[in-house]
Amino acid sequence: MGFNVGIDIGGTFTDFCSIGADGQAVVYKTPTTHYDLSVGFMRGIKELARRSGLGGHDYLSRVEALRYSTTVGTNALIERNGPKLGLITTAGFEDTIFIGRSRSWADGIPVHQARDLARIRKPAPLIDPEMVVGVRERIDCRGGVVTPLSREDVLEKLQQLVDRGAMGFVVSLMWSFVNPEHERLIKQIIEEEYPEDYLGAMPVTLSSEISPKSGEYTRTMTTVVNAYIHGIMADNLNRLGNELRDGGYQRPLILVHNTGGTKKVSRTKAVLTHNAGPVAGMYGSAEVGRLIGTDNVVFTDMGGTSFDIGVISGGELRAHDFIPVIDRWRTNIPAIEVKSIGAGGGSIAWVNELMGKALEVGPQSAGSMPGPACYDKGGVEPTVTDADLVLGYLNPDNYLGGEMYLDADLACDAIETRIAVPLGITVLEAAHRIRRLVDARMGQEVFNEVALKGHDPRKFTVFACGGAGAAHACGFAPYIGSRRVVVPAVASVFGAFGASTMEIRQVWDVSRTLKLFRWNEQAWLADLESFNQVVRELRDQAVRDLRLEGFPEERIQFRLELDMRYGSQYNVTKVEVPHLVLQTEEDVRDLCDRFTSRYSEIYSPEAAFPVGGINVECFYLTASVHQPRAPFHQLANGSEDASAARSGVRPACFDPAVGLVDTVVYDWTRLSPGNRIDGPALIEAPETTYVIEPGWCYRMDPWKNGVLEYAA
Amino acid sequence: MNARANFRYGRDFEVVQRLRPEPETAREVAAQQGIDDLEFEIFQHKAGMIALEGKETTMRLGASTAMRWGDVAFGIYTAQGDLAICATGIYHHAVLSQIPIKYIVKHWKDDPSVGLKEGDSFFYNDPFYGGVHNADMGLAIPVFADGELVCFIGAAVHTGECGGSEPGGMVNGARSRYDEGLLVTPIKIGEDFVLKEDILGMLANMTRDPRTMLLDIKARLAASRIAERRVKEIITEKGSDFFVGSLRRVLRITGEAARRKVSRLNDGIYRQPRFMDTTGPEDALLKINLAVEKRGDRIKLILRGSSPAISDRPINSYFQGIIGLAMVYFCGWFFHDLPANNGLLDAIEWEFDDNTLVSAGGDLPVSYAPATQVAFTQGMFMCGARMTYAIEPLRAVGCWYSGFAVTPYGGLNQWGDPVADITPEINATGGGGCPDGDGVDAAGAFFATMSDCGDVEATEADRPFLYLFRNFFNNSYGHGKFRGGAGVGFGAMVHGTPGLAVGGMGFGTRFPATPGIFGGRAAPTIFVQVVANGNMRQLLADGAELPHDMGALYGQDRVEAGERRLQHVSFAPQPLAEGDTIYVPVSGGAGYGDVLERDPALVIADLRRKLVTPWAARNVYRVAYDADTLRLDAEATRALRTDARHVRKARAKPYADFVREWSAKCPPAAVLRWYGRWPDPGAGSVAAATA
Repeated sequence: MGFNVGIDIGGTFTDFCSIGADGQAVVYKTPTTHYDLSVGFMRGIKELARRSGLGGHDYLSRVEALRYSTTVGTNALIERNGPKLGLITTAGFEDTIFIGRSRSWADGIPVHQARDLARIRKPAPLIDPEMVVGVRERIDCRGGVVTPLSREDVLEKLQQLVDRGAMGFVVSLMWSFVNPEHERLIKQIIEEEYPEDYLGAMPVTLSSEISPKSGEYTRTMTTVVNAYIHGIMADNLNRLGNELRDGGYQRPLILVHNTGGTKKVSRTKAVLTHNAGPVAGMYGSAEVGRLIGTDNVVFTDMGGTSFDIGVISGGELRAHDFIPVIDRWRTNIPAIEVKSIGAGGGSIAWVNELMGKALEVGPQSAGSMPGPACYDKGGVEPTVTDADLVLGYLNPDNYLGGEMYLDADLACDAIETRIAVPLGITVLEAAHRIRRLVDARMGQEVFNEVALKGHDPRKFTVFACGGAGAAHACGFAPYIGSRRVVVPAVASVFGAFGASTMEIRQVWDVSRTLKLFRWNEQAWLADLESFNQVVRELRDQAVRDLRLEGFPEERIQFRLELDMRYGSQYNVTKVEVPHLVLQTEEDVRDLCDRFTSRYSEIYSPEAAFPVGGINVECFYLTASVHQPRAPFHQLANGSEDASAARSGVRPACFDPAVGLVDTVVYDWTRLSPGNRIDGPALIEAPETTYVIEPGWCYRMDPWKNGVLEYAA
Repeated sequence: MNARANFRYGRDFEVVQRLRPEPETAREVAAQQGIDDLEFEIFQHKAGMIALEGKETTMRLGASTAMRWGDVAFGIYTAQGDLAICATGIYHHAVLSQIPIKYIVKHWKDDPSVGLKEGDSFFYNDPFYGGVHNADMGLAIPVFADGELVCFIGAAVHTGECGGSEPGGMVNGARSRYDEGLLVTPIKIGEDFVLKEDILGMLANMTRDPRTMLLDIKARLAASRIAERRVKEIITEKGSDFFVGSLRRVLRITGEAARRKVSRLNDGIYRQPRFMDTTGPEDALLKINLAVEKRGDRIKLILRGSSPAISDRPINSYFQGIIGLAMVYFCGWFFHDLPANNGLLDAIEWEFDDNTLVSAGGDLPVSYAPATQVAFTQGMFMCGARMTYAIEPLRAVGCWYSGFAVTPYGGLNQWGDPVADITPEINATGGGGCPDGDGVDAAGAFFATMSDCGDVEATEADRPFLYLFRNFFNNSYGHGKFRGGAGVGFGAMVHGTPGLAVGGMGFGTRFPATPGIFGGRAAPTIFVQVVANGNMRQLLADGAELPHDMGALYGQDRVEAGERRLQHVSFAPQPLAEGDTIYVPVSGGAGYGDVLERDPALVIADLRRKLVTPWAARNVYRVAYDADTLRLDAEATRALRTDARHVRKARAKPYADFVREWSAKCPPAAVLRWYGRWPDPGAGSVAAATA
């Protein structure tokens, strides 16, 4: 067994994690090379090899799997450098993607921005209105053909798009997820007219293949986004694959999906790579959770500009009922939800004069440029990082492992002039309030995220990752009601760690309405085959696909989930189903009972309405292949005494009424499993600082994870 | 206060006056003492999260169209009934939803036959207390801590069917409030955390779509219960003093902030009379006479001189509904950076004449009150743009479309289930033109800005329609230097059901509903087309070339045969059979600024997108271009515009002359039947004389 490598590209850094046959992790972090992501990628691989004591070629030849969460596709969307696409849709619905269910202006922007109604704007479209044509055809909600497709009409519209410079086609017709016949016919016509043998051949992407789900706007946008980034990703990843092969890597490059699994590049839909990094972090949380014996985990990642939140219940990453927004576009991919809020080290503190001098933190952020005032890059607004520095939590001479110097005077000036003086309080008091406020907001957001998914947040273990997570964990945990926080050993490269552990997994989904219990007749579904056929088709797709990856059917594990609803509800509740086949009416009843039970659990028994009719609306079949991996390297627990790791004392403030007090500082690299540190204390790790607040205690576990517990 | 003020068996005219925060109780005053500023900030965020969770949950569980697309208001109210914390995009409920709670406090709290206790739930839809119309329904629960009533929690949302004499929640032919369906004053529908099945059965039995009715009730209740748990968690941690005091403090500081913000505006009087063209069932000219007086830190809405109330038409509005709709403008545009709660009304005052269209008595039909209320709001936008121009010019924008054009329907769907609701395209109107750009195409509904128009497939899935098109249409907005956002029109065929009744609600067929701002033009008039006993099903089967949008519907090459009716956008439900069609335009926003200042390149871009007609490009915008290539002729355009300006100057006359000539005009008597005295409906009234 060789190395399992995970690579996670972020906005600022590219993270690497290599787990060897002995279960030991080697990590590395390097600035992201935005001009060409492969430069940083290959640099990191070389460094992993060096740290593993091997030459580059030798190392790569021993890599078992290289799993990559890439932002190539996301970057293409943001930079709008995708190809000129033509969209073929049903005549009469040409403006669907521009209407955007009308509220597309609010998709992908924060709440405060969406409330400023005088200033709203819709995003620039990915497809020019001139590049949309409608063909005469119509299918109704039962899949019946109301208007047949006309070949002549298709040819005429196709020519219009070609004349206008189309470099590829997206086909998205009404109700194609129920009856894809017309979409397939159009693809056939295009391929006949522009065969692959000719230079003029152009890719055709069908909505019924990319996203066979109900809702023409989200289905079309999912398909458009996929087509828009497909070519760029393919070029980029093929180049990278060649470079890796030349460097000695003998296996296929594997991509991390936002659905919580991985697939080979050649079997990946581009749209499933968006935001895969945080999902990999969630996966890593589930893995570490299993190690330490907890199934219910809230993954958090506090960075410079954002705070990510993900919920893992029952040890599994689950797709919840939400609408993934990619850039500014609603999609319907079965992605794992990672909520991102505008709170981080760079969040700006300000005094809201209108609200009677109320202190606010965010939503504006100083970002990384100019960054907090203490960065001395021109930023003058006080930020959370400035507050952390003024309170003595951060070491100005040892920030990011000493790679960056922080100017405490600038932080102090910013907080004094813009917060302390207007509010008539001391600088320490102002810094303390800034920190409390941002911690409270992060904690409350976490609470809501968990609660909205029908769980009790107090029963979850919080994982604090990201550069600022360890510094704020004790601050935000109380607002979740949590008394236990885990800071993973590799928290600063946790996305890469998660990626390195992920298994092969994909979700096959399709919208199909089946009335399990009918309102007007108060009767159960009799046609069980209508249910079984859908599952069977999904299963066949999964088996076919995974066979092409080299996995026999016996190794594939399936999990079936259904979107269900009462009667005429629009929104749905996801229910896991234990059996893939319905055999008797009893099975139907059981399914309905499971739905009502789950529904009651989330929303209270008063909300349940079984007699109102129960529908299945969407089927999700997750197929996964477990891959054996070496257990994580475990050390023996030693003494509680952490005095060997003491590196000094510095003044820090935990209560502004008391002021700065001498606080013991520890060097994380010198801590051993079993060591215990009671707050107040500070622990300096290479890429982060742990702030152990009074009442909390820190223990290093056998895998070098930090476990923070409220002891008071 | 006389005995009538406490009368329960009719309208309570006293309680509806209590829109502003109640005077602070001794309990509230004491509870606010010693609340730490930081803890209060943290509380505000937490309470906002609770409300947001409640709103999301209500939406997820509800079933009516409005619920599906986000038309939900969820709030936490003080023990006196003031709305302190709110999550909504329908801001009128931010002040209106408190009235039923105050009714509960006033009438039932101490009544031994009803009372308030833990586990109770109350339902209501009487528009006299809800402020708008019967289809807006609410549910609230009292929350107790150690036996003390500490707050209420509730959700209000439009349920599409309320058992009126016509389906779909709005009764065009209402001659009295008793034609309009359910009229439920706040009533206890649950005790000990259990809903009363007998009452649910009654409510279900009184509406055409019982399933949706019950799912919506349960959605409101489930969300309220979850929020109740969260509130109790706060109280457990911080104590009821902190909770009660903080809730009250939110109201107080909101009011102070509102007055602070108002004080930044220039003092003055801003006038914008508004007109409507329908009473619901028939054409008529009606006036809403709005003047906004800003003095110091107060804004006063003066609606004296409006047309009289009409005793047997559904177009009337209660005054509280008008104030509610004023909050749509204030919360979304002017006070967008302040909390949305009724503390904002500390900065707002109002004056109405009794028994007018905008201040109807308690016994009049109000199904179409939303039309009157949005007509008023359009004026509020106009006045607001002028008020804010001096301090925040980028927020001085044109109004989103304000004529409604909503399509109520009822019958059996393609699965044999009863349905009665409205179509969601009401949420696809265009935004108003802005100082620095065109209005947003299909922005939404200005009165429900968290709502959207959904997917056609979602509508077709369980509503018996097959849409023929849903696209933008040309000239659907007000022209201007920056045009209004384009509106959306849709055509639909009745499909999969033997029959359905379909109607319309709105105004703006005889003259525009949405005038432009700062020289911009109004969004155009609209009308609805219905074709019965036609050939659409065959045309579809034959693959015939059919119109793709409203603009193409009225071209020369019309292929659809049948009995074609062009109707006012407001019409009583008509029976439509399988294959019959209906075409409804939902219009665009108001134009901003002079059309002759529009960048010709923008006109050419709109020509390419078929969002402006060649006629309008040449005759409104005065743009010269090659009709084949759409290449702009800049020089000829300059000349055309210079000519147009000369023509304008030649047409000019002294203002006094214009007033004299204009004042001599008078519409025909038939049009003025419901108007009141011409030209000033309020002239001669006692109120007008003393104003």
